[in-house]
Amino acid sequence: MIKDITIGQFFPGNSVVHRLDPRMKLVLTFIYIIAIFLCKNFLALGAMVLFLLISVLLSKISLKLIGKSIKPVFIIVLITSVLQIIYNDKGIALIEYGKFHITTGGVFTALFTTVRIVALVVASSLLTYTTSPTLLTDAIERLFSPLKIVKINVHSIAMMMTIALRFIPTLIDEVDKIMSAQKSRGADLENGNLVQRGKALIPIFVPLFINSFSRAYDLAFAMECRCYKGGEGRTRLKEMKLALKDYIAIFMLIAVCVFVAITNKLIVAPEEYSNILDSFVRFVL
Amino acid sequence: MKNENIVEFQNVSFRYDVSEGEEQLPLAINHVSLNIKKGDCVAILGHNGSGKSTLAKLSNSIITPTEGKVVVKGMDTNNEALSYEIRKTVGVVFQNPDNQIVASIVEEDVAFGPENLGLPREEIRKRVDDSLKAVDMYDYRHHESHKLSGGQKQRVAIAGIIAMRPECIFFDEPTAMLDPKGRKEVMDTVFKLNREYGITVVYITHFMDEAALANRIVVMDKAEILLDGTPKEVFENSDLLKSVGLDIPQCAQLAKELKKSGVNLPDNILTREEFTDSVLNLLGDK
Repeated sequence: MIKDITIGQFFPGNSVVHRLDPRMKLVLTFIYIIAIFLCKNFLALGAMVLFLLISVLLSKISLKLIGKSIKPVFIIVLITSVLQIIYNDKGIALIEYGKFHITTGGVFTALFTTVRIVALVVASSLLTYTTSPTLLTDAIERLFSPLKIVKINVHSIAMMMTIALRFIPTLIDEVDKIMSAQKSRGADLENGNLVQRGKALIPIFVPLFINSFSRAYDLAFAMECRCYKGGEGRTRLKEMKLALKDYIAIFMLIAVCVFVAITNKLIVAPEEYSNILDSFVRFVL
Repeated sequence: MKNENIVEFQNVSFRYDVSEGEEQLPLAINHVSLNIKKGDCVAILGHNGSGKSTLAKLSNSIITPTEGKVVVKGMDTNNEALSYEIRKTVGVVFQNPDNQIVASIVEEDVAFGPENLGLPREEIRKRVDDSLKAVDMYDYRHHESHKLSGGQKQRVAIAGIIAMRPECIFFDEPTAMLDPKGRKEVMDTVFKLNREYGITVVYITHFMDEAALANRIVVMDKAEILLDGTPKEVFENSDLLKSVGLDIPQCAQLAKELKKSGVNLPDNILTREEFTDSVLNLLGDK
């Protein structure tokens, strides 16, 4: 189960999406996430989803992996949808059962939120799937380098992120090993209530922490051996240069955003939108 | 200049610090003098706690001696201003490859050292490619390091050090955590670096058969040097070695026992190849 975690994982490839400038990808994702929350109608949302879909197809990342990235948020999506359906009483009722009723408004808002959350997760996963951690943190370092003026050590933060991302798989393996070791000594990790299971995790996290410290110690030695002395005077293996494809990508996203803004103005909000559909439902009934 | 020393340990002692109030630890290194000649291939042999790993850390100014001094190509490691130059000259590869790899992708990790040196991009590229080819990992350059086998990871770690073009590399038990296949891959790489690239190699180990392949063996026991000489010289003292819990290589032991019971084998058999050759010779004669 623990091996399913794909956060921050990178899947090497040579697609257009992989080759985009990491700084641009970071900015694109950021704009995309803001825009998806500003969408107020299905047409705009559809355009956003289409943009994402094209990006996913261009990246040649398998849809199975994309599906895996959505898995962890499935419960959140389910809960928000259920709450929306139960508590939103706009529009006409489809099912009524005493105090409990499902309305068209509820169903639409639930659908809207679900698409939003899924798009959000897929967009950010696509960023990490197609960008190597080093390039990603390099991009962060460069984008935030103006912060040096206010004495924030951007390089150190970026280096910490590189190392954190690098050690995620190593530590996952380690947790797996420790869990097996504790199980073989009779630790019960699967049964019992929440408190008992929480307590059972202590003998897993204590050795994990101790090992992490000794790893950190070793890594510090190894980094010193390789002449690491902070960000000053460092050069980079990989060049970052904005190319035509980067400009095309940002132009396309801006076009989609403009479309979102226009449709938001022109087309009615989802609540009112549902009114139109209400009349349709009434007509059918 | 053939006999130039690259690293000199001059009457070096080292004691690990403890927090206040605790009892002082014994010396990890006790007045050791040792010279490593340029181009040599030296094995340092000893049991856990014999002080052999401390030697590696002393060699490039990661720790500095409590007493005495370590001189790398005329540079004293006590002088902090020189530590950068010293680390460019002497590299250290540690035991656990997982804890030495900084970046997630193989080539990005190998680039870490040259990037720190502030080299121009083309030079970094060249060094990364050359280093990965030297350890036979070039085809894996775009792979994720955590998906490699132990032996492959350790070779990536070695590439990360040779990308800095050091003249000498200390290997601190580079094979201790590996399976037999990984051990062989790493040892082959180590000897290749010495023979083909002329890098001075010092490797710390507790495997006898690995030590037997070096030009010179230094045996450490209880923070001091016990024996120092060619493998043949060192393994002649099998009783002394046994008294400190070390054994001579299996093949040497077997040859010795066979000789004792009257089989006509030559002296000084150390490796499996030597053993099989002489047995085949013997059978051929009959």
